Amino acid sequence: MAASPNSGNFFEASERGAADRELQRKLENASTRHLEHFAHTRTEFPAYEAESSQARRIKEEAIAHLDELIVELTRKLEERGCAVFAAACADEARDYIVDVARKAGARRVVKGKSMTTEEIGLNPALEQAGMEVLETDLGEYIVQLRREPPSHIITPAIHLSKEDIGELFHEKFGVPYTPEPEKLTAEARARLREGFLGADVGITGVNFAIAETGTLIVVENEGNGRMSSTMPDVFIAVMGIEKVIPRLSDVPHFLEVLARTATGQKLTTYTNFISGPRRAGEPDGPREMHLVILDNGRSAMLADPVMREALYCIRCGACLNVCPVYRHIGGHAYRSPYPGPIGSIVSPNLIGPSTAALPFASTLCGACKEVCPVRIDIPRILLHLRWKETSSRNFPGWPRAAAGARAGARRFARIARYPGLVRMLGRIGAIALRPFARRGWVRRMPAPFANWTRIRDFPLPRPRRAKNAEREDA
Amino acid sequence: MADLQAIVARVRDALASWRDTPNHNPVPAAAAAPGGNRAELASLFARELEAVGGRAIGPIAPEELAGCVVALARERGLKSVALGRGVASDLDNVAQALEAAGIEVMRTRPIAAGPVAQDPAAAAENKPGKNEFKARMALIDGAVAEADCAIASTGTLAVLSDADRPSSLTLLPPVSIVVLRIDRIKPDLAGALEAIGPDAVQAHRLTLITGPSRTADIEKRIVMGVHGPKSLDAIVIWPRDD
Repeated sequence: MAASPNSGNFFEASERGAADRELQRKLENASTRHLEHFAHTRTEFPAYEAESSQARRIKEEAIAHLDELIVELTRKLEERGCAVFAAACADEARDYIVDVARKAGARRVVKGKSMTTEEIGLNPALEQAGMEVLETDLGEYIVQLRREPPSHIITPAIHLSKEDIGELFHEKFGVPYTPEPEKLTAEARARLREGFLGADVGITGVNFAIAETGTLIVVENEGNGRMSSTMPDVFIAVMGIEKVIPRLSDVPHFLEVLARTATGQKLTTYTNFISGPRRAGEPDGPREMHLVILDNGRSAMLADPVMREALYCIRCGACLNVCPVYRHIGGHAYRSPYPGPIGSIVSPNLIGPSTAALPFASTLCGACKEVCPVRIDIPRILLHLRWKETSSRNFPGWPRAAAGARAGARRFARIARYPGLVRMLGRIGAIALRPFARRGWVRRMPAPFANWTRIRDFPLPRPRRAKNAEREDA
Repeated sequence: MADLQAIVARVRDALASWRDTPNHNPVPAAAAAPGGNRAELASLFARELEAVGGRAIGPIAPEELAGCVVALARERGLKSVALGRGVASDLDNVAQALEAAGIEVMRTRPIAAGPVAQDPAAAAENKPGKNEFKARMALIDGAVAEADCAIASTGTLAVLSDADRPSSLTLLPPVSIVVLRIDRIKPDLAGALEAIGPDAVQAHRLTLITGPSRTADIEKRIVMGVHGPKSLDAIVIWPRDD
């Protein structure tokens, strides 16, 4: 993947994203449409606030009793003949799944959308074992054809226009070019239907697991999750340890809130409740079912009192759509299967040190916290992770830069008491700093302000005319 | 399993320090909305189903069902139809009416009323035919199934699967027709899950179906019929004595 959008580090990748006007147009387009849907469903669902606080409370209860719930879920599923494998890390999960597929003599594996399998890097492992891996969510299928990772957890191909996809299908399948979503979808349906019928193993993620009944819930719109979990003889579900909820009666609090925040629907088209493999006499459904429960850094998050609430996340993707940073740089820049605000807080734990810079990719504007259906205080966790990152590692120049920034902020606080003085300094600064500025930003300020720009750029002051300024002061 | 125990132990250690903090008591079950009258629930269900691209037909009397399905099959241009066992309705009649109308009928198993037979002999008999079943099902134009329950507020059909009512019925054929008794329409999701209950969820695969299969993966534009049915018709039945 030489020309992959994932190459380079986060800062290079985000600059590439930030410079891509076309990408921003597409993201703006998609996220604006999403926000309209969301605003609409929220006004016509007066119970939203109450439901979302119930959802939060159930997650608090579930995570506080996670050990017991995992045991109960496992016992129930094993009783009905589902094999349960607990994986401490990504390697263990991957090896187990490859092993199951190999024992089944699998040639083709079909997958429903699952961020957890992206997290463990499953596809390359299966391919290396000589199997064909087919992503069957339309968005995932499209990005897989481009040999790209998904750029959004709900809408994987959000960075592509219908024209991009039309050209892709034309190029890969030799079909006449068309930008019409209906025709493109029909083409994918025909190809994937064949894929499903000839698949030996199906893999999906899990949205919720009910401990009381030993049931996995897979939520989707297309039917590919249903297909992946009923057509092949072997079905493997993969989930993080935090997905367990206590009871069947908890489910209503989550499903509507998830559908509304993720896609603006009242309920997703298909909600699959899967409690085990095929039973005697049934002509469809998997003969063999496996559940992989993945830790991979989650129990460490649980042990950290600030990080803990990140485990309440139901992966609705709403925080991505409202995030000004995500909307500017796109999902690929994060170089993690979990992009956006939620990605910035979970990736350092689930993906590792390569994503340590992500908590800094935020303006702390708080839009994510505002929109979160389970009310995760993402800005607080971002600050916590920044603090951890800068204090636990040897960060050259950091203490000096921080001291300089603090002194600068203190000085500014004193000046800011006098609006006239601020305006005057702004006018002076605009002239004095001009030689140091490029496109409105000062990369390196002259002494004695050099410490300020050691870790950030400084905007070239743009003094407004006094009349406008006074109106705002009033 | 040793691995599971290790992870559970790790989780327990992580939890040890904060288990006693407040707010970790069980959350009370979602209260099901009070049931409105049947006609109101049926019309709300119909409106919501239509909002997600499905269609609601009826309410009709039970004896009108066979004629209604035949008319629908003609309208949708179906040459072959698969049928499962009914829940509260007699789909055998429907099968005969379809055959009489010259439409090829595929029965998932001999359709009989009464509880599901769980005999291993039948299971063994089914075994080699699995792929054949899939392949045949994939070529069928439409399928008729009966829902166990429905949700008015979202236009959702709840379908439990078993040997005589396989999940593929509402998944593989491009035209999906679902029969529903009016007394099985619940006001909301909480009411529907309460009616189905934990035992049925453990014993069967449960699928909540809200409209035809759809996607919004290309520029967030909605397209119907990705992997599942392209159309969904729900026929609501209102028995006279009710």
